[in-house]
Amino acid sequence: MFKKLMASGVALAALSGAAQAADKTLVISVYGFAQDAFKEIVYDPFEAQCGCELVVETGNSVERLAKLEARKDDPEIDMAVMSTHDALSASRKGISQSIDVSRLSNYDKLYDIAKDPLGDNLAVGYTFYATSIAYRADEVTIESWADLFQDKLKGRVAFPNVSTNQGPPALYMVGKAIGDDSADLKAAIAEVAKNKDDIVTFYERSSQVAQLMQQEEILAAPIGRFAWGAYAKMGFDMAWATPKEGQTGGMNVMILTKGAKNEDLAYEFMDFWLSTEVQTKLAEALVDSPANSEVKVSEEIAENLTYGAETVESLQLLDPAVILDNRETWLSEWNAQIGQ
Amino acid sequence: MFQNRMEGLALALPAAVFAAIVFLVPVGILLSEGFRAEGSWTLASYASFFESDLNRTVFWRTLKLGAIVTAVSAVIGYATAYSIVTLPPTARGRMIGLVVMPLMISPVARTYAWIVILGRTGFVNETIVWLGLSDTPIRFLFTETAVFIGLLQLFLPLMILSLISALENMPKDAVPAARVLGANWLQVFVKVILPLTKEGLVIGGTLVFTGSLTAYITPAILGGSKVLMLETLLYQRVTVANDFASASIIAMILMVMSFSANLLLKRLATARNKR
Repeated sequence: MFKKLMASGVALAALSGAAQAADKTLVISVYGFAQDAFKEIVYDPFEAQCGCELVVETGNSVERLAKLEARKDDPEIDMAVMSTHDALSASRKGISQSIDVSRLSNYDKLYDIAKDPLGDNLAVGYTFYATSIAYRADEVTIESWADLFQDKLKGRVAFPNVSTNQGPPALYMVGKAIGDDSADLKAAIAEVAKNKDDIVTFYERSSQVAQLMQQEEILAAPIGRFAWGAYAKMGFDMAWATPKEGQTGGMNVMILTKGAKNEDLAYEFMDFWLSTEVQTKLAEALVDSPANSEVKVSEEIAENLTYGAETVESLQLLDPAVILDNRETWLSEWNAQIGQ
Repeated sequence: MFQNRMEGLALALPAAVFAAIVFLVPVGILLSEGFRAEGSWTLASYASFFESDLNRTVFWRTLKLGAIVTAVSAVIGYATAYSIVTLPPTARGRMIGLVVMPLMISPVARTYAWIVILGRTGFVNETIVWLGLSDTPIRFLFTETAVFIGLLQLFLPLMILSLISALENMPKDAVPAARVLGANWLQVFVKVILPLTKEGLVIGGTLVFTGSLTAYITPAILGGSKVLMLETLLYQRVTVANDFASASIIAMILMVMSFSANLLLKRLATARNKR
């Protein structure tokens, strides 16, 4: 009997045996989207250049942030990309460290807003997007964020959930349109709540809005520019609003983990990703709008991106600290007024 | 089969250790979070969870939809199962195949199909407008009705299958005998079929009810954030607020609801037995 016990113990030990890591490995944590394109444009060429192994972890921001925090004292991840407010949260939690930008040869080519969005070089922006309203030009006209609640759109409009990255910026612009742009977003949430029965859904994934638009369930919705490509191909008379209050949006940034075990590789990788060549390819594949100001793309490509100095400067971005400090309040306010 | 019990246990040991380490212990830790506050054991988190209007609404909605889906699927399930078991063997096999078929399709695909069917330009609305029942399309998507329809379609096969096996085990002469003795169909159902198939109803009911409580994809896609259920609220707490304490409270509530439903159904079944 003892032998059988031993045998089962050995079997168990074999199961838990972990694979050994390669000599030079860089571990990165990224969003799960467009990974095929990233593999082809960024990961594979980088592996060839550095002669190292690249381990890619994907997931949504909260999951990845939770993981980074859990392994704070012994980080397995060397660099991560996330939204500006998540990056700020990471730095407040002591997960990230300042980036020595002199080690990034492509740093000077970046648009100014991407250079140091959090201060202290805690992050470097690698892409951003505009958020505005996509609408059916043959059915409605939209000149202001308040036009989302016009009669023609009753029962035919979707709005981003407060929990999404589009939610708070869109609410902020609605607030501006009704003349109250305070950071608590109270007025804007109340305005949305007043119209909630006329809003088809509060979407959580951009793919969901595209489907509703395709099915003619809705005629307008605030969306991120990164999703625009799908709308332009729907065969409807789709338009991208330029509301009088302006367009909003968001930025994604790179952070360097505090105590990263492969710091040199992490710098090499960040610099590679920010290079004109890689940023151009990512733009041409409509994956990410370039943060590198030297990227030149055709008009057709630019149409689907957030591209050009003028566009970039016109974006009314919410301050990451404002998002981080108010997120819980927004969520409870939203749930109290809209969630039920 | 084994020389002694210990040998059998030894063989089961790896699986048991594995299950304990990767399942029971983490689940225990996660669920115990909800009972801890500032280092001591307390029910305070549960009290404050139910203080919130939103949480209460979501709790009742989840319970209500689960109960309605279970009740409706029992009614449809009995009718369908009874008509299937009275078929000749080949036809019965084919019909059971048809009932099982939806279970082989991913719930995501099945739920997405409802978005198309229930949409403004979908089959249901086109029919309603064509029949003149309404001038404009009715909004079904992102309402409780849509979630109800989605859940019912998702779990009805489980109820039908449980009832088919229960009805098949029922003595073949029971129903004709009751009819000959002058019972009408309602009496036959209540006094003969129901008592003889209650086991199947308990199993089917538990599967449907717990399934409806814990389904995530269907309420997420067809209800969205306008029709939050406990499971979609749980997801929101974890992914948006990184609030594992509330999430573990919701998980515990869901587990308690599932176990209570099973106990309640069993009680109902035995109570009927005694009469």
